[in-house]
Amino acid sequence: MRTLLVSLFIASLASSASLFSQDLSAREIVTRADNKFNGEKSSIMVMSMTIIRPAWERTVEFKAWSLGHDYSLTLISSPARDAGQTFLKRKSEMWSWNPVISRLIKLPPSMMTQGWMGSDYTNDDILKESSVVDDYVHVIEGEENINGRPCYRIKMTARENASVVWGHQLRWIDKNEFLVLKAEFFDEDGNLVRTETGSDIKMMDGRNIQSKMEIIPADQPGSRTVVIIRDIKFNAPLEEAFFSQQNMKNIR
Amino acid sequence: MAWRNLWRSRRRTLITVASVFFAVFFALLMRSLQLGAYDHMFRNAIESYTGYIQIQNEDFWDDKIVDNTFAFTGDLEKRVSACNNILATVPRFESFALANSGNLTKGVLVMGIDPEKEKYLSNVKNRLVRFRLSDSAIAVLSRSGMPVDLKKRLVLLRGNSYSSPASLLSDLGVSDNDSSVILPFFRKYASFSNAYISNGEKGVLAGDRLAKFLGIGRGDTIVLLGQGYHGTTASGKYVVKGIVKLPSPDLDNKILYLPYDVCQDLFNAPGMLTSLAVSVRKNDDDDIRRLMNDLSSEIAPPLKVMGWREMNKLMINQMDADNKSGGVMVLILYLVIAFGIFGTVLMMTSERKREFGILVAIGMRKTRLAAIFVTEMCYIGLLGIIAGIISALPVIYYGHAHPLRFHGQMAKMYEDYGLEAVMPFLLPGGYLIWQSVVVAVIVFIALIYPLRKISRMVVVNALKS
Amino acid sequence: MIWKTAWKNIWRNPVRSIIVIASVTIGIFAGVFSVAFMNGMIAQRFDSAIDEEISHIQVTGRDFSLNNDPGIIIRDADHLIDSVSSIHGIESYAERILVNGMAQTASRSEGVEIAGIDPERERKVFDLYKKIIPGTGSFFEKQSKYDLALIGQDLAKELNIIRYSIDSVSLAKLASKGIPARVTTLLKALEGRRFSGEKKFEKTLTGLLDKKDAEEFGSAIKEAAWSFRENSKVTLTFLDRNSNQVSAAFRVAGIYDIKNSSFEQTMVFVRDESLRRLAGFDSGSFHQLIIRISDIGYTEDITGKIRSAFPGYEVRNWKELQPDLAMMTDYVHQIYGIFMSIILAALAFGIINTMLMAVLERTRELGMLAAIGMNRKRIFTMIMLESVFLSITGGLTGMMAGWLSVLVTSSHGINFSQYSEGMEAIGYSAHVYPVISAGFFLLVTILIIFTGIISSVYPAFKALKLDPAEAIRTE
Repeated sequence: MRTLLVSLFIASLASSASLFSQDLSAREIVTRADNKFNGEKSSIMVMSMTIIRPAWERTVEFKAWSLGHDYSLTLISSPARDAGQTFLKRKSEMWSWNPVISRLIKLPPSMMTQGWMGSDYTNDDILKESSVVDDYVHVIEGEENINGRPCYRIKMTARENASVVWGHQLRWIDKNEFLVLKAEFFDEDGNLVRTETGSDIKMMDGRNIQSKMEIIPADQPGSRTVVIIRDIKFNAPLEEAFFSQQNMKNIR
Repeated sequence: MAWRNLWRSRRRTLITVASVFFAVFFALLMRSLQLGAYDHMFRNAIESYTGYIQIQNEDFWDDKIVDNTFAFTGDLEKRVSACNNILATVPRFESFALANSGNLTKGVLVMGIDPEKEKYLSNVKNRLVRFRLSDSAIAVLSRSGMPVDLKKRLVLLRGNSYSSPASLLSDLGVSDNDSSVILPFFRKYASFSNAYISNGEKGVLAGDRLAKFLGIGRGDTIVLLGQGYHGTTASGKYVVKGIVKLPSPDLDNKILYLPYDVCQDLFNAPGMLTSLAVSVRKNDDDDIRRLMNDLSSEIAPPLKVMGWREMNKLMINQMDADNKSGGVMVLILYLVIAFGIFGTVLMMTSERKREFGILVAIGMRKTRLAAIFVTEMCYIGLLGIIAGIISALPVIYYGHAHPLRFHGQMAKMYEDYGLEAVMPFLLPGGYLIWQSVVVAVIVFIALIYPLRKISRMVVVNALKS
Repeated sequence: MIWKTAWKNIWRNPVRSIIVIASVTIGIFAGVFSVAFMNGMIAQRFDSAIDEEISHIQVTGRDFSLNNDPGIIIRDADHLIDSVSSIHGIESYAERILVNGMAQTASRSEGVEIAGIDPERERKVFDLYKKIIPGTGSFFEKQSKYDLALIGQDLAKELNIIRYSIDSVSLAKLASKGIPARVTTLLKALEGRRFSGEKKFEKTLTGLLDKKDAEEFGSAIKEAAWSFRENSKVTLTFLDRNSNQVSAAFRVAGIYDIKNSSFEQTMVFVRDESLRRLAGFDSGSFHQLIIRISDIGYTEDITGKIRSAFPGYEVRNWKELQPDLAMMTDYVHQIYGIFMSIILAALAFGIINTMLMAVLERTRELGMLAAIGMNRKRIFTMIMLESVFLSITGGLTGMMAGWLSVLVTSSHGINFSQYSEGMEAIGYSAHVYPVISAGFFLLVTILIIFTGIISSVYPAFKALKLDPAEAIRTE
């Protein structure tokens, strides 16, 4: 009897293993990729962002605490002029604390389309990160190699009621690690508006993740934003209470 | 002989000259008034906002962001000021930011100006609020000896601010006569003490409506947050030094004036400007064009010289339409006076039919007669035109110095925008020649009928008349 | 007797009289037509503003208009509506929820004012439902599972929702409009390309065509290349009742065009229930009550009534909302008053000249009349009547011509599409329908008679001064 149970168990393991690698739906693939960073309960990251423009270049270093999709707290550490500024995201609100003027300001809708810290990543993007899974309908279009790594190419078409500005997105997700190695963003007419790439895959805090991400706006030659993750800790003990206006002022 | 002929029948000659004279006189007056009024309105609008010429970064006009500023060097200032016709250079730094006071935040237009030099353009100092109908002011004024209907109007105007006695009185419906009686009441109880900004000080002027929304007054602190040069964060704290009232409610709701050096600091763009405007000594079209050429030779990319036509495309459209309708009006006038001249010439011809008949009968060739006639008309035309010009000139000069005034709502709107509510005549210029030429042409056309009559004349019939 | 004589006298020198009459006709015709034209422009602007933009009276909570603070709601809503509906002279009213926010598409974003409306009630107050560009949708008539938004043409252009593309259909359209072949051949180079923004399209056009062609045919080309995808998505972001940010996807229900760029760029209309749901406003609460009255004359009166009944609210009528409307009539009267005066003065001098000549011509005859005993008063009257008849005849023909021309142009209007950009920017249509009032004709008639009388004074005076004895002896 026991042998039967064990063999059934092994058989089911075997079959679920095959399910596991073969019949993943597009939605599941995207969810997994999303979960790489956000699915963990929480994370603390140390990053540097370099904004490249035809006429100049600027690098901002910061530390970011996040809890799921809904809460994040970011502290700028460099350059000196911007150091000490913090940004708080709570669900659909964004706040900014500036020590120079010691003011806590809630960002109004008119600021949403501005790039965060002058980059190509807008405040709106930050607020709407969470919607990748829910706001789109996902379809696997095929498979392609990006930088020698086999990827699923998934077409994500925005749901009609979703308040995202994109018509559709194309994502290339690594088959083994479920890393988003490339994403293209299109408007409703099918014009490419933005490309994002992930590279420099490294092992950090027990996971393989893309440590370098680039955001490249279409139509603006010579402009892009490069984000590098220097350090990351997953599942740090963070509570919702941590993400407070009070903490914005105190965090170091 | 032609000359003598004229004076044989003085009355007739004078009447004919008179018709030409009236034609020239009215044509000149109408054109002068039209050109003057339209000139006044548009020039004022241009001079008080963009100015005639601005120097900007060549990318700024299409994308008005802080990154498209240019370096305001001493060398640039020198080269620009050295050009002929420059009265002053007026630096500006314009951008957007979030203004915060307490819990209230609002997007504002930040105008960095040179507090002293700005008077050459938009004269912000004149916009400082001088009167405010606060609740306490109204309470006191209601108990004063002013007329009852005025007191009623006061209540409706609660909370309003005014930058000049004229607009206050106009809102209250006080006539010019009564103003000297009424004004002292307001000076005593509704005066608003105000102050201006100066270079180097972190003080700002806020629009009246903006101040009301943010709940700030003089002495309060306002915080600005925005995007600075090359993606940096722009942030700063400033004291509200004064309140201004702009006639456009939209602007009044979001304007903040700062000294431009403080503004440069705020946006992390030391030494940069969004535009350098110039104020000119002589402002007619030729002088402006010449100045633009001079400046263009001094300025190279990445800088660009922008003319007022480029910066006011919409207004040009309106000006054109206005000009065309003015042209139509003058055309109509010409038609009217043309008939006047034709009529007179016609009558003169028929009167002298007999005389012409006799001359031809006694042997004068028709061509000679025609020549004499034409010469006579030339003299008449000349006399009429000269007389017309001479009589029109004093009217024009007077109308320029003491222009016609608007009244009512129109006047208030003009005054609100800092323009004088007047329609001045335009001083003599090119149009003088043109109008005279047109009238001369009309006179010549009028000659056609008499000349035909002469050539077709049957002497016998003429003698019988 | 005198009348008949005076009339006959005029026709003794028909050519001269015809010339004077003709000049009066032209002057009056021109005056009448230009005033009609100006009136047409002003009336259309006025009607537009009232029927499409602001209506007659608006009631909001105190200080709401300072910044459209969504928290300032009309509290006593039912009471307000009851009172208002009972005031005599009120034709209709509608309630609106208003929030400020941003409208966004993938490439652009613009600040807008979002009005949540009840489409049925709005139809009774505003004509906006008539101004939807054909083919772009309807005034919330379609049932839809989406939240719908009605946006202005200029906003649609700014957000790149209106696109420009040259294809065989648009080329054919242009050819049929008479655009020369050389231009359409050049345009073929753009076939298949889609331009997401008006500015980009314009830039390409000016690069492709030579300056004259671009100026002349530019607007026709833009019109033919205009294209719009139905149900385009636009994301509206605004603050809800508690100042939390809300972002929602809307579909463009239609694009309206009222020839007023700034209004079109700012005002976005959605169903009130969409806004209530998204922003958390209770049903029955609103920010603004808009009132349409049956007669402009009641404006002050009704405004006053509402103000005294509800001192806690801000009540503003069209004169206060757009003072330049009231001012426009002032301006026109003043400008055209001056114009007509100059014309009449020129005419008057023409008549004086003519009459003077006539009097001098008839020296002998007049002397004769005086000699046989015609009294001076009658001579004076006769001359005056001649002058008046001349001016009236001319005046009547002029007014008739003016009236006819206004009649003809008022049904089809006059087109100024060259200047449409500038004019629409300040809210004027470039298509004018002249209009003139009976009162104006009356005024002109009176002025003409007056001119005739005044012009006759000097010549008549001269006629009286003639010494009968001398006069008879004249040639």
